[in-house]
Amino acid sequence: MPVSYVLTTCPYCGTGCNFFLQVADGRVVGVVPCKTDETSKGRLCIKGYNAHAFVNHPDRLTHPMMRKGDQLTEATWDEAMGKIVSELKRIASVHGTDSIMVLASAKCTNEENYLFQKLARAAIGTNNIDHCARLCHASTVAGLLQSFGSGAMTNTIPEFEDADCVLVTGSNTLEAHPLIGARILKAMEKGAKVVVVDPRDTPLSRVATMSLRQESGTDIAWINGMINVIISEGLHDKEFVDTRTTGFEELREIAKKYTPEKVEEITGIPKDDIVKAARIYASAEKAMIAYAMGITQHSNGTSLVRALANLAMVTGNVGKESTGVNPLRGQCNVQGACDAGALPNLYPGYQNVEDGEAKAKFEKAWGEALQPKKGMTLTCAFNQALTGDIKAMLIFGENPMMSDPDTGHVEAAISKLEFMAVVDIFPTETAKLADVVLPAACYAEKDGTFTATDRAIRAVRKAADPPGDARPDWQIACDLGRMFGSRGFEFESPEQIMAEMAAVAPIYGGVDYERIEREMVRWPCPTKDHPGTKVLHIGSFKMGRGVFAPVEHTPPAEETSEDFPFILTTGRNLFHFHTGTMTRRSAKLQREAPDPYVEINPDDARSLGISDDASVRVSTRRGEITLSARVTPWIRPGTIFIPFHYVEAAANRLTNNALDPIAQIPEFKVCAASVEKA
Amino acid sequence: MSEFNPNILAFCCNWCSYAGADLAGVNRLQMPPNVNVVRVMCSASVKPEYVFKALSQGIDGVLVLGCHIGDCHYLTGNHRTAKRIPLAARILEKVGIDPKRVRLDWVSAAEGEKFQHVVTEFVEDIRKLGPNPMREVRF
Amino acid sequence: MRLAFDEKGADYLLATREEHGNVAPVLLRKGEDPGAIRVDVPYQMAMILTKVNKHVKDGKIAVVARKCDERAIAELVKRDLLDPNRLALIGLACTAEQVRECRCTDPCPSTVDIGECAEPSTEDAPVAGVLGMSLDDRFDFWIDQFRKCNKCFGCTLNCPVCFCDECLLEDKTFTPEKGIPPGLAFHLIRTIHMADKCVECGECERSCPADIPLLSLRKMVNRDMKELFGYVSGDPERRSPLLTTLDGDPMEDDMHAC
Repeated sequence: MPVSYVLTTCPYCGTGCNFFLQVADGRVVGVVPCKTDETSKGRLCIKGYNAHAFVNHPDRLTHPMMRKGDQLTEATWDEAMGKIVSELKRIASVHGTDSIMVLASAKCTNEENYLFQKLARAAIGTNNIDHCARLCHASTVAGLLQSFGSGAMTNTIPEFEDADCVLVTGSNTLEAHPLIGARILKAMEKGAKVVVVDPRDTPLSRVATMSLRQESGTDIAWINGMINVIISEGLHDKEFVDTRTTGFEELREIAKKYTPEKVEEITGIPKDDIVKAARIYASAEKAMIAYAMGITQHSNGTSLVRALANLAMVTGNVGKESTGVNPLRGQCNVQGACDAGALPNLYPGYQNVEDGEAKAKFEKAWGEALQPKKGMTLTCAFNQALTGDIKAMLIFGENPMMSDPDTGHVEAAISKLEFMAVVDIFPTETAKLADVVLPAACYAEKDGTFTATDRAIRAVRKAADPPGDARPDWQIACDLGRMFGSRGFEFESPEQIMAEMAAVAPIYGGVDYERIEREMVRWPCPTKDHPGTKVLHIGSFKMGRGVFAPVEHTPPAEETSEDFPFILTTGRNLFHFHTGTMTRRSAKLQREAPDPYVEINPDDARSLGISDDASVRVSTRRGEITLSARVTPWIRPGTIFIPFHYVEAAANRLTNNALDPIAQIPEFKVCAASVEKA
Repeated sequence: MSEFNPNILAFCCNWCSYAGADLAGVNRLQMPPNVNVVRVMCSASVKPEYVFKALSQGIDGVLVLGCHIGDCHYLTGNHRTAKRIPLAARILEKVGIDPKRVRLDWVSAAEGEKFQHVVTEFVEDIRKLGPNPMREVRF
Repeated sequence: MRLAFDEKGADYLLATREEHGNVAPVLLRKGEDPGAIRVDVPYQMAMILTKVNKHVKDGKIAVVARKCDERAIAELVKRDLLDPNRLALIGLACTAEQVRECRCTDPCPSTVDIGECAEPSTEDAPVAGVLGMSLDDRFDFWIDQFRKCNKCFGCTLNCPVCFCDECLLEDKTFTPEKGIPPGLAFHLIRTIHMADKCVECGECERSCPADIPLLSLRKMVNRDMKELFGYVSGDPERRSPLLTTLDGDPMEDDMHAC
C-alpha cells in the first residue's frame, strides 16, 4: 500500500480533534482532516495540521542510554531497565518505598497511565505517583470534586455552539484551544453573548461582546462581585438554590461585601461593567463558563475554581445542556491520566486511596498489598528531594526542568537525587540530567486511547513503527513491572490493559475498543449498554446537593515591590505547545514563532526606554532570562507576559513555587518581576 | 479640519518612469510631498503582494508606473503588470478598499511633465478619498 | 466501483470509505477488498490526489471526482503537476443539496459515472449580500470576518490548486504580524494567487474554523477574472491569462509560479 490514512487523535491540546495521519512507505508524512469527526468537523488548527512534523525528526531518541561520568552513552534495553530496577530496589530497601517518586505522563495513553500508577502502587509499593495535571488543573480536580462531587468538565465541546452566553476567563481560547474557540465564535454568530475576563487582550476578547481586564490574581473579587449583583437584583435561580445546593446563606453574606465599587477597587474592572456582565450571565437561558490556567494556576486556585462553581450554581447553570463549568484541559491526555489514577490520592476512577473499601478492592484486583496513606504530589516531591525525603524519580514523558516553577529549584532538587530515570521521545532538558534514559514511541507509533477535556474517550492508532529501538511506554512499563517481581503486568496489547482498567474504574466500565470503533463514548459509562454521558449533574450531584464555598479574595503569594515592580504572568501561544519539545522541531510552527519574547505595554516600554524587538532582561527573586521585547497594547500596564515554550529563555526560571494548599498547584500566573534593557 | 497629506508609494521602473521622474526633478517641476518613490528594474517586478502589503499597513495610495506597452526593456514585462495590477485593484474593491487607491500608468523617460501630472493627480484623488481605512484597524 | 479497475484500466482507486465509524480517504490497490465505499461526504479528492500522487511511482490512479475535482485536476495538468495519462476520472455528480450549499454553477462532471446531475445554481445569496454593500460597509464586514482568523492554513492546505512547496504566506516579508490574526495582506495574497486557479470547490470555507465566508470572496474574484480576461478556471485547454502576454502568447514563465 503506497499511501494509507490512519485515523487518530491529536497529540497536542485537550480538545481531542481526530484526523488522518497520511502514511507513505511506512513513514508519517502528513495530516488530512476528518470531515466526519464530531469534535473537529473537518477543521484543525495549525498545530494539528503539523502534528506529523516532529515524528521523524533526527533528534528522536532511538536507544536506551546510561550515564557514565558526565556522559550518557548507549546501552541495551536489558542493561538500562536492569539498572532502573536495581537502583530503585536498592533505594527502597535503604530509605523505604516512599522515597521514590514516579511521574506519569499526560501525553501517554490511558492504558499507559493506568500501568504507570499500577507500577508505582503494586510493583514498587508507593502512592507517590503524579503528573503534570498538578501544574494545570489540580485545582479543578480538587475544587469541582468538593463543589459538585466530580472534578471534570460538566458539559461537552459541541454544546458551546448552542449556549446563549459564554463566560470565558483565564483562557486564551482561540490560541490554546482553537477548535473550542471556533465553537464559541459560532455561538456568537448565532447570537450568543460572549464575556471574556482576562488581564490580557486576546484574539477572543477582541471580538467578544464584552471584554473585562482585571489585575492578575483578583478573580475571586470579580466573581463574588458578579454574585453580589445577581443576588441583590434577584437574578439568582431560587428554585435551584433551594432544592439542589447547600451553603447559600454563607455565600450571600460573603457576597454582600463585594459591591461593584469594592470590586473595581480590587480588580480595576469598572463597576458598571461588572454589573452589566453579571446581568448578561444571569439572564441568559443557557450560560456556559469556560476556563483554564488563568483561574487554576494560583496559590488560591482551588478557591478560584469553587468561586466559578458558586457562580454557576447560584444561577442554576448546572445539569442542563449548554451550561456548566467547563475546564479546558491542556494536554491531549491529562484528563485520561487523572481518570486512570496517576494521582497520589486517587485510584483509577477517582476512588480515594485512603478509603478502606477502595483499597481492599484494588488489593484484590491487583493481588498486592497497597499503601494506606496518600502519596506525594509532584510539586511537593521536588521540595522533598531537596530535604532528602525523596531519593529517586522515575519519569515517564514529563519535562519538569521546563514545566515546573522555579527551574533553579528543580535543578537543585534533581542534583540531590540518588537516581533519576527518564522515558521520553526527545532529549529534553530533564532527560539530559538523568542516569538512565529510555527511548519511547510517540502517539503515531502505538495504539491506545486519549480522553479529551469533555470526557470523550478517543482512539489513538498506530500509523508507523517507532524509530530505532524505541518502544511504546506500555511495553516498557510491563517489563519494569515484571522485573520488579509483580504478576500484574502480563499484557499483550493496550486493548487488554483497557479491559482491566474498565473492570476496576466504574466510570470506564462500559468502555472497550469495539465500542470506541463505532461511536464517541464519554464517561461516566458504567456498563456496556450505557450510552455514555453528555451532561453531568442532571437532577442531582454525586453527593446529592452541590456545595457553595464561602471564598474570599486573597492577594497572590508574591506581590510587586520597588525592586520587582511588574506582575509577571506566563502562558501559551498558538504556534507552540508547552515545553516546545515537539513544536520547536516542526519547521512550519517554528517559523511562525521562532524566538522567545516578553510582551510589554507601550507605556511601560517607553518609560524604560525599550523599543520593539530590543533585547531585555527579566528578573525575579528566582532568576533572570534575556529575550526580546514585544511591545504591544494587548498587555496591561504594569504586567508582562512570557510564553513558556522556549528553552533558551525559559519562563519558569522566573516563576514562583507558591502552592495552593489543597491542590498544590503552583502560582504560575503571578509573581513579581523587573525589566531592564539588556 | 486638518489637512490630510496622503502617504503615497510610487513604484517606478528604471528604464522609463524612473527616468521620467528624474527628468521632472531636473526641470524643477512642482511635486506634492509624501510621495515615496521606489525604483524597480521593471514594473513587472511589482508583485501584487507588495501592493497588498503596503495598503494593509496603511499606505494611502500605490502608484505603479511602467514603460508604454511595446517599449518595455524586457519586451513583455509590462504585459504582466498590465494584467496583475488591475486585478489587484479589483480584489481590493471586493474587500471594501477603494480600487482607486491603486493606479497603473505608463510614463516614458522623456515624459517628465506627464510624470508630474500623474503624480499630482493621483495625490489629489487620494486626498479626496481620505485616509486608508486600514489605518484605524487594530486587529 | 469495479468499473475503476475493469473499465478504466486503473491500478489504484482513490475514494472514500467507512472506517472506525467515520468516512476516510483510501487508496485501494487492484484486487483489494474495498470495504464500504461512500460517496456522500465531500472530501476534496483532487487535493488528496496531489498528496498521494508523489508516493505512487507507477501505475494508473482512478479517482472519484466531482466536477470541481475535475476542473482542479485540469488546472494541475496544465501546469505539469499531474500526468493525465496516469489518471482516470470517475465522475461523481453532486446532489441538489450539495449544489445549493456551494451555490455551484457548474456541477455536472464531463462523464457522469455515479449519481445524477442536479441543476446548477442560479442565485448566490451570500455573494449578492456582499456585493450589495457599500464600500465602507463591505470593508467593516470583511475586517470583522478576518479578525477571527487564527492562521490554521486550512484554506491553503485543503485547496486542490494550492501547490507551492514554499508558501509565500509564511514569508515574514508579506505577513510580518507576530501572533494572530494575520493582517489583511494574508488574505489578499491568497486571493490573487488563487485568482487564475480557483475552481470554487468551497473547501477553503469548509475548512475554516472561524467560518469566514471565503467561498464568497473567491466567487467574486472569479467574476472579475471573467470580466477582465474572459477566463474561467478549470479550463483544460486555455493557459492562465496571468501567464500570457497581452497578445495571447505564453510568457516565459515557470508554470509553477503564482
